[in-house]
Amino acid sequence: MSTMSSKANLENLVRSGGLKTEPPDRKECEGLLRSAMDRLQDARNPALSFASRFDLAYNAAHALALTALRLQGYRSDKRYLVFQCLAHTLDVGKAQVRQFALCHERRNLAEYEGYMDVDEALLADLVALTDSLLAQVQQAMARTN
Amino acid sequence: MISPIKGPIIPLLGLTDNLMQPLPLSEALFTTTQQKVLGLLYGKPDQSFYANEIARWAQVGKGSLMRELDRLQRAGVLTLNRQGNQTHYQANPECPIYGELLGIVRKTFGIGEALRAALAPLARQLVWAFVYGSIAKGSDHAGSDIDLMLIGENLSYGDVMERLLPVEQHLGRSINPTIYTPADWQARKAAGNSFVLRVSEQDKIDLIGGPPPKEPANEHNEQ
Repeated sequence: MSTMSSKANLENLVRSGGLKTEPPDRKECEGLLRSAMDRLQDARNPALSFASRFDLAYNAAHALALTALRLQGYRSDKRYLVFQCLAHTLDVGKAQVRQFALCHERRNLAEYEGYMDVDEALLADLVALTDSLLAQVQQAMARTN
Repeated sequence: MISPIKGPIIPLLGLTDNLMQPLPLSEALFTTTQQKVLGLLYGKPDQSFYANEIARWAQVGKGSLMRELDRLQRAGVLTLNRQGNQTHYQANPECPIYGELLGIVRKTFGIGEALRAALAPLARQLVWAFVYGSIAKGSDHAGSDIDLMLIGENLSYGDVMERLLPVEQHLGRSINPTIYTPADWQARKAAGNSFVLRVSEQDKIDLIGGPPPKEPANEHNEQ
């Protein structure tokens, strides 16, 4: 939530070099949101492989987390940090942030070490979490209209 | 004729080849016997244990164990009291570094106890829970994650993460859970899945239960 302490936490991350400040850009946020919605929908396509569905859901979650960060006037190219910031940019609990972080680690294993475990339980949870993230980001977008 | 080597002799003390080898915190700070004794007594500080009990648990020689118990007791790390003909030892809350020792034990060799407590409410769903990876192998360092394998039915990442979050904060380490059903685990093993095979051969810290049976024992229809 955008409370004082959240703002302070984000500002601390700017000072430590993890985040950059950049004024929010409506067009950019709409583009990210559109991409997230498409990917989240495709992540449910049973004709696709597990690896593709996971990739789509993960990237939808990242696009939404980045939108939340951009709406607050920040940017980061560190994916892990973009997820960590959800605790400060939206009302996302610590356990949920840890779940996104876990998915990020699984994605890195696949991306950089070529190991993708078929974990349907993890994907189902990721899709459900990303669904609720989408609703929160849409609300945040509406507030900044 | 052999000519003497000139110049100062600089002993290497085996430092150069070990520079890249990370050493577990517990290994750097305590002997194996001390780790066992402190792990048990500072892992359960509200309980007292008699020497034979500690020896059985620690699986170390009685001689070295008694010397260690004597030293720790004389230093005030442990208290000693006699109950009948048994000598009981317990973590000493009056020890000036009691709190610090509790923390060290919890963060290094006491991880198993903290996880067991957090997972206890899921015991009925769990068939086998264990720690693998660097911590179980004893090759962990301060920043190592806790790799946790949970094999059971009706487990969700969301629920597990909620339960593990306080342990992560308490231990100051990230926990990295993997959840499988017993069928998933067996199917992966049978298919030669590299991760599952690697994990099943590695050292583990067993938390709850044990390996799922190879085949579903008959066709029960208990729903």
